[in-house]
Amino acid sequence: MDTTMEEIVAPSNSPGQVQVYFTTNSEDIELPEEKRQLRVPTDVRRYGLSQILNSESMLDTSSPIPFDFLINGTFLRTTIDEYLVANGLSAETTLNLQYVRSLIPPLYEASFEHDDWVSCVDVLSGSSAAGTWNGQQITPGQERILSGSYDGLLRIWNKSGQTIATSTSSSAGGHTSSIKSARFISPTQIASAGLDRTIRIWKYAEAQDGFSGDLKPTLEFYGHTGAIDSIDVHGPSDRILSASIDGTVGLWTTQKSSAPAASSSLLTSGPLAKRRKLTTSTSTPQRGPLSLISSHTAPVTAAIFNPSDSTVAYSASQDHTIKTLDLTTLEVVDTRTTSHPLLSLAALPGITSQLLAAGTSARHITLLDPRISASSTQVMTLRGHTNKIVSLSPDPESNYGLISGSHDGTCRVWDLRSSRQGTKDEGNGLVGEAVYVVERDSQKGGAKRPVGGEGIKVFGVTWDKDVGIVSAGEDKMVQVNRGRGVTRTESL
Amino acid sequence: MAPTTHQRKRKAVTRDVDVPEISNVESEAEFGDALLEGILSQSEDSDDDSGEEEEEDSDDENDEEDGLEALDSDEIPTDGDSDAGKSNGKATTANGANAIVEKIIGEQQLVEDDDKPNYTITTDANGGERYVYEEINPVYDSDDSDAPITTNTIGDIPLSFYDSYPHIGYDINGKKIMRPAKGEALDALLDSIDVPKGWTGLTDPTTGKPLNLSQDELEILRRIQTNELPEDGYDQYPATVEYFTGIEEIMPLSAAPEPKRRFLPSKHEAKRIMKIVRAIREGRILPYRPPEEQKEEDEEVHYDIWQDEVPRPDHIMNIPAPKMPPPGYDMSYNPPPEYLPTKAEKQAWESTDVEDREKEYLPTAYDALRKVPAYDKFINERFERSLDLYLAPRVRKNRLNIDPASLLPKLPRPEELKPFPTVCSTLFRGHEGRVRSLAIDPSGVWLASGGDDGTVRVWELLTGRQIWSAKIGDEEAVNAVRWRPGKDAVIIAAATGEDVYLLAPPVVDPETDAASRAILDHGFGHATNAAPSLTAHGAKKEPVAKWTRPGTRLEDEGVLIKITLRTTVKVISWHRCGDFFSTVSPTAQRTAVAIHTLSKHLTQIPFRRLPGIPQTVQFHPSRPLFFVATQRTIRSYDLQKQELVKIIQPGARWISSFDIHPGGDNLIVGSYDRRLLWHDLDLSTRPYKTMRFHSKAIRAVKYHKGGFPLFADASDDGSLQIFHGKVVSDMMENATIVPVKVLKGHKVKSALGVMDIDWHPREPWCVSAGADGTCRLWM
Repeated sequence: MDTTMEEIVAPSNSPGQVQVYFTTNSEDIELPEEKRQLRVPTDVRRYGLSQILNSESMLDTSSPIPFDFLINGTFLRTTIDEYLVANGLSAETTLNLQYVRSLIPPLYEASFEHDDWVSCVDVLSGSSAAGTWNGQQITPGQERILSGSYDGLLRIWNKSGQTIATSTSSSAGGHTSSIKSARFISPTQIASAGLDRTIRIWKYAEAQDGFSGDLKPTLEFYGHTGAIDSIDVHGPSDRILSASIDGTVGLWTTQKSSAPAASSSLLTSGPLAKRRKLTTSTSTPQRGPLSLISSHTAPVTAAIFNPSDSTVAYSASQDHTIKTLDLTTLEVVDTRTTSHPLLSLAALPGITSQLLAAGTSARHITLLDPRISASSTQVMTLRGHTNKIVSLSPDPESNYGLISGSHDGTCRVWDLRSSRQGTKDEGNGLVGEAVYVVERDSQKGGAKRPVGGEGIKVFGVTWDKDVGIVSAGEDKMVQVNRGRGVTRTESL
Repeated sequence: MAPTTHQRKRKAVTRDVDVPEISNVESEAEFGDALLEGILSQSEDSDDDSGEEEEEDSDDENDEEDGLEALDSDEIPTDGDSDAGKSNGKATTANGANAIVEKIIGEQQLVEDDDKPNYTITTDANGGERYVYEEINPVYDSDDSDAPITTNTIGDIPLSFYDSYPHIGYDINGKKIMRPAKGEALDALLDSIDVPKGWTGLTDPTTGKPLNLSQDELEILRRIQTNELPEDGYDQYPATVEYFTGIEEIMPLSAAPEPKRRFLPSKHEAKRIMKIVRAIREGRILPYRPPEEQKEEDEEVHYDIWQDEVPRPDHIMNIPAPKMPPPGYDMSYNPPPEYLPTKAEKQAWESTDVEDREKEYLPTAYDALRKVPAYDKFINERFERSLDLYLAPRVRKNRLNIDPASLLPKLPRPEELKPFPTVCSTLFRGHEGRVRSLAIDPSGVWLASGGDDGTVRVWELLTGRQIWSAKIGDEEAVNAVRWRPGKDAVIIAAATGEDVYLLAPPVVDPETDAASRAILDHGFGHATNAAPSLTAHGAKKEPVAKWTRPGTRLEDEGVLIKITLRTTVKVISWHRCGDFFSTVSPTAQRTAVAIHTLSKHLTQIPFRRLPGIPQTVQFHPSRPLFFVATQRTIRSYDLQKQELVKIIQPGARWISSFDIHPGGDNLIVGSYDRRLLWHDLDLSTRPYKTMRFHSKAIRAVKYHKGGFPLFADASDDGSLQIFHGKVVSDMMENATIVPVKVLKGHKVKSALGVMDIDWHPREPWCVSAGADGTCRLWM
């Protein structure tokens, strides 16, 4: 092994060597035990270390994988020598180098233009939840992007930016007001909800050529007395969770037969003018909720299923709390109180203990351990946004990745492994900083971000393995950015 | 010669003393003795030459007298022409060989002849040119009173030197002072007159004239002779004032007989005296101390430690006598050229401050020692040394050292008072023209705003999306927008022009919508059923306000009720229960403040007459009190007892707005004269704290009503200021008021900045309405 080292090290005029120990959390690129210890010259940077790891004697990869290296939770951005000096370490210590696949900047790919602000996006692909639930294979290239807009219409796009289907207008059974949240339940079923306090289930049928299709309303759910901020769906159990500003979390079933009837007082909506319109609408079956759990004292902003257990749900609210709901007994199991109003919620399932990430109005993301046994409520804080964080999506590939969409007009990619100790002003604890910032393409020309994110607010973001980072915003665009080096890891 | 006479005359006018004398001289020939009597008595006290003169008959006496006269009249007599001198003062028009003397005296003359030469050219006896200089005016009549008036200038020599001369010295002008008359001539005079006061019979050695003493001087002399203090007013022997009289009392305080000890000699004292006597005899006690010894001991001893200084090798314990360094070459009067400063060095030396100079002198070369000038700073240095001594403070003055920071009140740092709004997080753009008023609904989800474009708009608070809009004012701006408190219904009251509209925006579910409509429509029954109020004449009284439907177009949009008042409504304020609201129309005379009852569609005018123009009103958050702010004062009325409770005087010139703390005991007032005032209602009617942080008028003030100790004000300078105002429940402690943040962002348009402000009902977020047509959410 020493001889191989000589070969690699030879070109650099070896100023000094340091003992390193390579570790990784990804099993597929793990080094055999005996190769993990190595002496490397101290003047190499990330690139040199990556080369060493990719060499024949180490991982022996067919095509080189770019790696990033973490020492004590921070990414190595300088030479090892400089790192040692900066941290006051001697060259005789053994450095623990954790190597991860390098993040590739989320390059801009495309924008799909809308008529009005786009509030939400969802992706149907071979790797997305809706694509995997019922076993149907989505062939690559057949991915669909669903967007819900403030004009009350749902649109389905293919990856090249063509509108395949648009939902019917309010007179034909569509939403009477803005859509705030829309999700694929299955490749043929879509749920959407919005300011008109209803959830609608749509049947999505696509023509054979895949360039046209249509959306037909199949069910309307009435029950909430306030606008619905977000919904989450679970395909296998046909359940929908909804979070409304009336402070309730609704649980619904998409099965027309098992859904209870809707309360008649809620069926007529809006003032006289709107009511007149409704009478002309096609008769869509109307149903009520399985249950409305009113445990929050302020508007509920997000409700999600536990990704690993669909009988558990989490809800985040502006009353600063995250509640764990048991959906079988419809009871609140646990309440976690934070110090700020929460506007978005996402579950990060892959880590040893499942974490919840909640975006706050105070411009940061709070990571919480929802288990009752967990002693500390707040695990980590991700700071960097300059406005409310209204959308979160986990990285489909990495258990440590996360993307957030904020009203400051950016999406930020976070890596939970990179963290530092927070200052007193930040409330101590671990603080993470963004790895990449995804700007709005519509704002690229402008040198300065407008005050209050005016015109470029991001309302929704979804990170899909196949499609990439899809974000929607006030600039009336759905923007697609490439996720991380997806293809390269697949080739491994 | 005309000018000379002219000058002569002028001189006579300027010198008062001359007047009698000249006349005296002139009159001498004609009037004789009779007239002179009066003059004498007139100048009895003064030493008067004329007194003697009048007795003079002989020629030589006359001569002398002339000399004296000349002395007084400032004429310069010449030795050779005693004959000419006889012609007295009139001889100014002298002729022939006599040199004519010009006299120019007095300030007037000096001023006039400023640029003239100070001499005149005359011809002398030989016919040659002669320069006759003007007399020097030494200005002895200045107020320098210390110097004795010297008349004789001969100095400190005995008068006997002049014994052989007819004169006894010279006056300041160099003229002879003639020996005064004495002997028989005087005796004759003395016989004829009384001895004047102060006459001593002595001759003043300096003047040779009889020495007279004044009464004061005589008194001083008497004192000195009797060994008293010469100073006047000091009584050396004042009469004794007996505090305890030796007179035996007839009725003594004590009737006890005199004790024996008063008249028996003390044995003890005798013993002690004998002891001292014995000691003196034996020589143990010296009755006096020899004085010489004492003197020697007392004398201070100075040691000159270097008095027998001998050159010694250098040693650390040896301190040599301080010695000035020997002068170097550069101190020479003619230093070698390399020591001479260059021009630049010279300039640098001159430009530096005297204190900062390295050397006190500048080497200068003179080619001979006699060309070295006197030390030019000698006077300067002496003067400064004198100043140092004169002005040197005797006492060290201790300057008061106070750290200015310690004088500041102890306030918590703004960072410790988080949370409070810090940045603009959402912009609400859509209004054309100014946004005049805005409010967040009780659930904290919607924002209502009204502006110059006559629309009321409802926005989604977090995203800034406009949800609903209704145009209620065709021409007029919407002046006030306020949500009805309570979550059972969603109703907005909006004022435009003379109309107040009640709106039910379609942003809620049908149930709430129906509830809102029911609340609004409920009063129509009352209005129709109620008996119309009648005036005293029995005629139907014109109602103060009309409650009507606004018309189908607006009804479709959700505008349900229109209340028409008589004048423009500027302010709407809801009662907490949501059934009453009050409106203010400042321009109205009698109907300025109106209270409307929603459930009965009833409008009442609580005040028939108000002391001033009402600005804004508020209901108390918990008690049945009603606050009305006029331009200068805020009055609180008890609505149940219907009486005035309190008059609060903020001291502002023009109140723009005020708000009541949710606790009910504190009040903030904003005024157009830039002041923000905090009132503690229990404490005083005067403000507890006055803050002037804005550069322009304050338009709106608001407390946070959801539990955060925050309040904010909005100003025409385009900024909002957020304050931390903590009110403690116990009565002992005052409220803590800390300014925590200035929020800038609104643009100032036509001298208007932020028009209105409101807080989120739960969170520390605030919204502001700007004259730039935007609303902003700050969090």
